[in-house]
Amino acid sequence: MIQMEKNIVSFTNNTVTKELPIQINVENVNIFYGDNHAVKDVNLPIHEKSITALIGPSGCGKSTFIRTINRMNDLIPSARCEGMIGYKDVNILNPKVDVVQLRKEIGMVFQQPNPFPKSISENIQLPLRFAGVRNKKMLKETTEDCLKQVGLWDEVKDRLDRSATSLSGGQQQRLCIARALALKPNVILLDEPTSALDPVSSAKIEELLLELKNSYTIIIVTHNMQQAARIADYTAFFYQGELIEFGKTKTLFTNPEKKSTSDYISGRFG
Amino acid sequence: MNSKITNRIAISVIIACAVAMAAILISMLGYILVQGVSSISWKFLTTSASPFLAGGGIKDQLWNSFYVLIITMLLTVPIGVFGGIYLAEYAKPGKLTSFIRTCVEVLASLPSIVVGMFGMLVFVNYFGFKYSVFSGALALTVFNLPVIVRVTEDGFRSLSRHQKEGGLALGLTHWHTIKTILLPAAFPSILTGIILSAGRVFGESAALLFTAGLSTPDLDFGNWNPAAPNSPLNLFRSAETLSVHIWAVNTGGIMPDVQTIANGSAAVLVICVLLFNLFARMIGKIINQKFSGK
Amino acid sequence: MKIGKMVTDAAPASGGKSKLINEKGLFSQLTDRTSESRGKLLIYGSALLMIVAVTAITLFLSIQGLRAFVVDHLNFWTFITGTEWFPDRAENPSFGAFPFIFGSMAVTFLAALIATPIAIGTAIFMAEIAKKWGAKVMQPVIEILVGIPSVVYGLIGLSIVVPFMRQHFGGSGFNLITGAIVVGIMILPTVASIAADSIRAVPDSLRQASYAIGATKWQTIWRVVIPAAGSSLLTAIILGMSRAFGEALAVQMVIGNARNIPASILDPSATLTTIITLSMGHTTTGSVLNDALWSLGLILLLISYVFIVIIRFLGRRGEKR
Repeated sequence: MIQMEKNIVSFTNNTVTKELPIQINVENVNIFYGDNHAVKDVNLPIHEKSITALIGPSGCGKSTFIRTINRMNDLIPSARCEGMIGYKDVNILNPKVDVVQLRKEIGMVFQQPNPFPKSISENIQLPLRFAGVRNKKMLKETTEDCLKQVGLWDEVKDRLDRSATSLSGGQQQRLCIARALALKPNVILLDEPTSALDPVSSAKIEELLLELKNSYTIIIVTHNMQQAARIADYTAFFYQGELIEFGKTKTLFTNPEKKSTSDYISGRFG
Repeated sequence: MNSKITNRIAISVIIACAVAMAAILISMLGYILVQGVSSISWKFLTTSASPFLAGGGIKDQLWNSFYVLIITMLLTVPIGVFGGIYLAEYAKPGKLTSFIRTCVEVLASLPSIVVGMFGMLVFVNYFGFKYSVFSGALALTVFNLPVIVRVTEDGFRSLSRHQKEGGLALGLTHWHTIKTILLPAAFPSILTGIILSAGRVFGESAALLFTAGLSTPDLDFGNWNPAAPNSPLNLFRSAETLSVHIWAVNTGGIMPDVQTIANGSAAVLVICVLLFNLFARMIGKIINQKFSGK
Repeated sequence: MKIGKMVTDAAPASGGKSKLINEKGLFSQLTDRTSESRGKLLIYGSALLMIVAVTAITLFLSIQGLRAFVVDHLNFWTFITGTEWFPDRAENPSFGAFPFIFGSMAVTFLAALIATPIAIGTAIFMAEIAKKWGAKVMQPVIEILVGIPSVVYGLIGLSIVVPFMRQHFGGSGFNLITGAIVVGIMILPTVASIAADSIRAVPDSLRQASYAIGATKWQTIWRVVIPAAGSSLLTAIILGMSRAFGEALAVQMVIGNARNIPASILDPSATLTTIITLSMGHTTTGSVLNDALWSLGLILLLISYVFIVIIRFLGRRGEKR
């Protein structure tokens, strides 16, 4: 279905040297908002422990698509979804799927940092407590652990009781990532996580994602092509609801198959 | 040139309207407070009303007003908040939801005397609660419920979508997200609305006429056993509230100092309502500042 | 989100049951701490209660209100058009409720007539002319006044308006117009604050467009802002009227409580609410008079419904715009 290049050349940070196993398999997915056919017949493999970037002009369906992977589109009554997203041994789109359990395994970080208006430590411990963790020592350790993973520990360790809303935008976003990590998910979805941040904070988040991909599967929506080129192993280009092209980032950027891909990448539209 | 003259005339008329409005309302409030405050004294607030003689106070009525208010709030707030959460978070667009919305609207716009008649029919006669604090509170519940529902729904709707998504994406159930994240965030606006509605309940009279009654037994403020017939805490005794008292003394009062009692009571009533308002605004401001982290 | 038909239930490498699939029974959903069901139960219960309340009010008042016609065999037509209300006459008691229906209507319309110009004028002043001052000082004060109990307005009527009418127009001072003035003042803040909100909701781009073609402030207000705020302004007035219509004690204190149709606005009269207020406590349940009063209550309820329907209709029209 989609042709993939076999020879791998190092492309900035894209360090994948061998074909990784597939963690999520998307087959024939169609998404509708009422009468609007927002995502059309998408087929896409998501490889384990790698970063897959979804790029494309705004309104191309990439955000809609990523929000379907952990069923966040359930919140929109008019949204309807067909096809299969295979994960483990189930189809995520199966109505019987326990979305609560699903979202624990497939975490999500949003465009706007959205820490809860509670203390920093409370932000990380709330989902843990809900998942049934009662042990105080363990809660503390996980908090420290997660904050260290996102490089926030040294910045906030003296003020864990302060409100999370007192942090800067970049810190808030890293806290949101830490919060998603606390549940030890398999997959992390990021919906334009740096578009509300300044360049320095963005760079920090990118660095962080490169580190995290050693332990997690990461899917990121971005409309910043440089960002995709810098960090993604695989890139999927969406246009007008269709998946135009998917492949290793390097291949897609240096040798795109489709004309619209090369047009977008070279900045002719979008 | 002509349009400029029209403009000037029209603007003057508008300003005159605003001035008239301000004059009417200020003179009214001023009258009540100036006339009334002179008749308020410690003795006025702490002696019982006298049916025939001058010098009666409003101790029992004042207590009744607060007691009915508290019971009403205990009944309305939980039901109203849950109902508001339903409309803001769970209701799916459809016939049932629009019917519930219509019901809230109907409840909010029923004349309070109709609510009073319903209360008399159902709570006083049918359930046999008699003219009592409890019947009154139930009638006021009918009347206050839509207010709390709206306040809660508005409070939830004004929250940003991001908070809710954040909770759900972490594997919290919808209900748990509401309980631990959304409700605390909406709390200040809900609380402000509740206090404002308390002011309305406190001044309500027509709905209480046929439910809480026009009389109060001799209350013994030393007896706090809720089962005793003369206990202030007894839920099943009749209770004339302050606003009903104002109406009653004016229409059928035979004590010589009707005017003083009415003015004094009205001033107390207005001051209480003003305090509720100031309090609500203050709380809204304080909590708002705390949340925005300044 | 609805899942379309094309979704295949079978998983790709179908093994045993995953814990991702939720197959808990109803009971375990209720006992499970992480389940939604307990919260949902509370919430749906509350919503249901509101339906129950409205249904119960309508039903009970209808049953009780129809007794006069069904059990006591009063003629419905003579009841609402009859002009003689002598329920306690030993011989040939008559139940003609028209004077009260008329009184209610008269008070409502006169009150709206008195309140509308002042309230709308004030609203325009707050939202268009003195915006800063209007929003910061006047709006909060007016909102506080909305909360002043109606008996207080009645008392004001009794101690200021009644003596004033007596001095200048003769008679007792207790009459139809006094009642309308008192209620009109009472609904002033309500109408003004809602009207101001709806004027503020008119987008600024409209005003700028009007000023840009050289319109004066008044032309902008009259030709652009008021038509744009149209149906919400009307809603404000109707809301005020429905409040005036349902007001009981404040009117009762000043209207004079006569049982005839007033010959002029300076005559004492009565309304549906005032007659109920006065007589309800003195009748025994099951008597014809008591039943007739409930019928008046039912009429009150029905007319309130009419107001609600009008307000909803206006609201919908406003949304469509």
